[in-house]
Amino acid sequence: MEMFLQLILNGAVVGSTYAVVALGFTLAFTVLRVINFAHPEIFMIGMFGGLAVASYTDSLWLALLGGALVAGIAGIILERLIIRPLYNRDVLMTLIATLGVGIVLQNGMAVVVGPDAVSFPALLPRGGVEVGLLSLSYKQLFNFAVCISILGVISGYVRLTLWGKATQAVAERPGVAAVFGINVARISQVTIVAASALGGIAAVSVGTLYGTASAYVGVLYGLKSFVCMLVAGNRYFEGVIVVAFGLGILEALVTGYLSSGLRDAVAFSVLIGVLLLRPQGLFGSYTAKV
Amino acid sequence: MFIAFEPILIFTLLNIALTVGLYISNLSGQLSLGTAAVAGIGGYISAVLTSRLGMPFPVGLLAATAGGVVVGVGLGLMTYRMEMFVFKLVTLAFGEAVVVLAFNIDYLGGANSFTGIPLHTGMFVAFALAAGAVLVAYLIDFSALGFAARAVRDDALAASAMGISIRGVRVFTLAVSTGLIALTGAMQAHYLLVINPHDLTFFVSLSIIIFLLFGGMQTLWGAVLGATILTVLPEVLRFSNEYRLILFGVLVVAIVMLRPEGLLTRRPLKVPPRRTGRPLPIEISQVGPNGA
Amino acid sequence: MTAVLSIRDLQVSYGAVPAVRGVDLELHKGELRVILGANGAGKTTILKALLGLQKATSGSVQFDGRPILGMTPQQINKLGISWVPEGRQLWSNLSVYDNLLLGGFGVADKAVRRREIERMLERFPLLRQRSRQLAGSLSGGEQSLVAVARALISQPRVLLMDEPSLGLAPLMVKQIFDLVQEVNAAGVSILLVEQNARQALQVADWGYLLENGAIVTQGSAADLSQSSTVQDVFLGGSI
Repeated sequence: MEMFLQLILNGAVVGSTYAVVALGFTLAFTVLRVINFAHPEIFMIGMFGGLAVASYTDSLWLALLGGALVAGIAGIILERLIIRPLYNRDVLMTLIATLGVGIVLQNGMAVVVGPDAVSFPALLPRGGVEVGLLSLSYKQLFNFAVCISILGVISGYVRLTLWGKATQAVAERPGVAAVFGINVARISQVTIVAASALGGIAAVSVGTLYGTASAYVGVLYGLKSFVCMLVAGNRYFEGVIVVAFGLGILEALVTGYLSSGLRDAVAFSVLIGVLLLRPQGLFGSYTAKV
Repeated sequence: MFIAFEPILIFTLLNIALTVGLYISNLSGQLSLGTAAVAGIGGYISAVLTSRLGMPFPVGLLAATAGGVVVGVGLGLMTYRMEMFVFKLVTLAFGEAVVVLAFNIDYLGGANSFTGIPLHTGMFVAFALAAGAVLVAYLIDFSALGFAARAVRDDALAASAMGISIRGVRVFTLAVSTGLIALTGAMQAHYLLVINPHDLTFFVSLSIIIFLLFGGMQTLWGAVLGATILTVLPEVLRFSNEYRLILFGVLVVAIVMLRPEGLLTRRPLKVPPRRTGRPLPIEISQVGPNGA
Repeated sequence: MTAVLSIRDLQVSYGAVPAVRGVDLELHKGELRVILGANGAGKTTILKALLGLQKATSGSVQFDGRPILGMTPQQINKLGISWVPEGRQLWSNLSVYDNLLLGGFGVADKAVRRREIERMLERFPLLRQRSRQLAGSLSGGEQSLVAVARALISQPRVLLMDEPSLGLAPLMVKQIFDLVQEVNAAGVSILLVEQNARQALQVADWGYLLENGAIVTQGSAADLSQSSTVQDVFLGGSI
């Protein structure tokens, strides 16, 4: 029983990170109808941005800020140079163009820092909290707290503010939104940049969690967050958060009880099942042309 | 500086066959995101038959092709009714599931790769394969089937209203495609002599889509040209692996941004798209402007 | 009378296919004009071109003497043109209130926006009851009311309405046409697109008959109701 609960805790920590990356991915897809495969690589860039700041300043908060800035700026450039010119084109085109950007970022970083993982400065104390036989390290707690805050900020923005509601309006019916005076291009830009910057923060916290950073870290998060989006459907962005947590927990359970080799099978088995039984996703999708 | 031409040539021919295979299923709009996995299945089948069971090379190739056809028919029957976006996702998920399986089957070597595959593929075999692939694609492309396939791709509903069987066209083109791709995968295995599950992943599949996109999705020669340029160019430049991939990424972005139809394109036929309930814009017996 | 909206030789095509071929059309201040036509005749395309959602191939559109072709939907919204789209097209995941709120997104003054929303809720007590409900959960008739109310928050001078009665029960159809008349009486010039010729000609001042992207007949609503072409096509004749 303790093992079960411990696995669920560990899984929730991983799931919270999946949720942040997957939510950025989903917002881009829902609002702009763009599959942004550069998103996970911007996450990776943010991680190294934070690492650079951390190694000069040894400050956790400045590192988080650095991650947000670097990733946010990368998001601005990506939106302006790649995504906006391809707006309204076939989904496959932006998918491939952003994938191309992702390949360049990933291998460019591998040239700069080397192909192997480098260590991330320890910014948090060792140790952790123990309740009964369950334990969570401070790093895990911090990562969890950061990711939950990011998710909270995004939901609050989208659900409660005028601009957030306009974002939802663009997601469902961009044409109607434009007619009622909503600047679709500006909303799209804000979405991409915010998703990038917040992803950058999460990346720094993941770096401190595992103590390493690698040019290839985006690959892992990229495919899984894509799967989370497909499984959830793009109608309710909360759906993707639920699925991401579910995936993290399920993976932890599979690793704990079966084998770590099967961990990566979880995501794709779930995806195949969902696609065959409910292709619009668990929580439904807008019937947009995709 | 010495460049080994033979490997580059063989890789180019194999990649041409893969890209042409993808071109065939894309004729009916089925752009698979699991090409590498299908090729991998072919590779594993032939590898097991020849190196573990001692069967001759042709039997391995035949079995690999048959395996590919079975996969194609299965996927085709499962998805022919779906939107093609869902088809892409199903093939993606299928491919990744195959990867996970390959990682976890110890008999196939798992993460340590399947090794000890006998060398059979040479320049001649590879050339025959690529030429055969192009020939098959050419025959389909300019047959009634090819036109039916494009009709299904452009507007499945209208095509079926014209009496074209969507199921027949989609399943057949996909089966030919996956058969060819699995055959090529087997040839590749008998050239590289190892298969690693990493070679089956989504990103490898995407690079084949990129070959097709680069050359031009609408024409067979685009598929050939794209595969050739994107295989040869990075090889002869002799960069390190990272620089090669960076170049690849830059080329991909450039082609999408600057020439999204690919290097070669087909002149579009001026056929009006179907719009429900709307007469074709042909001026016959219109109600005259009598009241204006 | 001066024309608030005047369209000259408007042409729109989708790729190589012409959808609207040389339409001339005028809407005077305070008028209600209707474009009749079958499915796919190009009615919706004309509205989309006016709203900046669809590029016109050629022609000119003047709003109060100002050319508006080529402007963005946002700029056109600011000038005072609003839209009740075909099939309502509400934001189904947002509440009724939020739909109205976003209908006034282009209104710079918050107080004005709030006042106009309040005015609409006053006019449609049903919407006040439902204001927290998701728009997607409403019935077709209720959604039509929201769509009209949403379009009016920005206090437009011209309202483009695309088949507001489509798919509604007969009783509701009558209510909607009454509402159209009421809005028109309040001073909003309306360009209405309809297949329901009988009802539309009862409320309209002037009508156009559109076929294959060209206007084949026009005239006062009374004349059109008598016209043999319109009779044949819409009023009991075969389609």
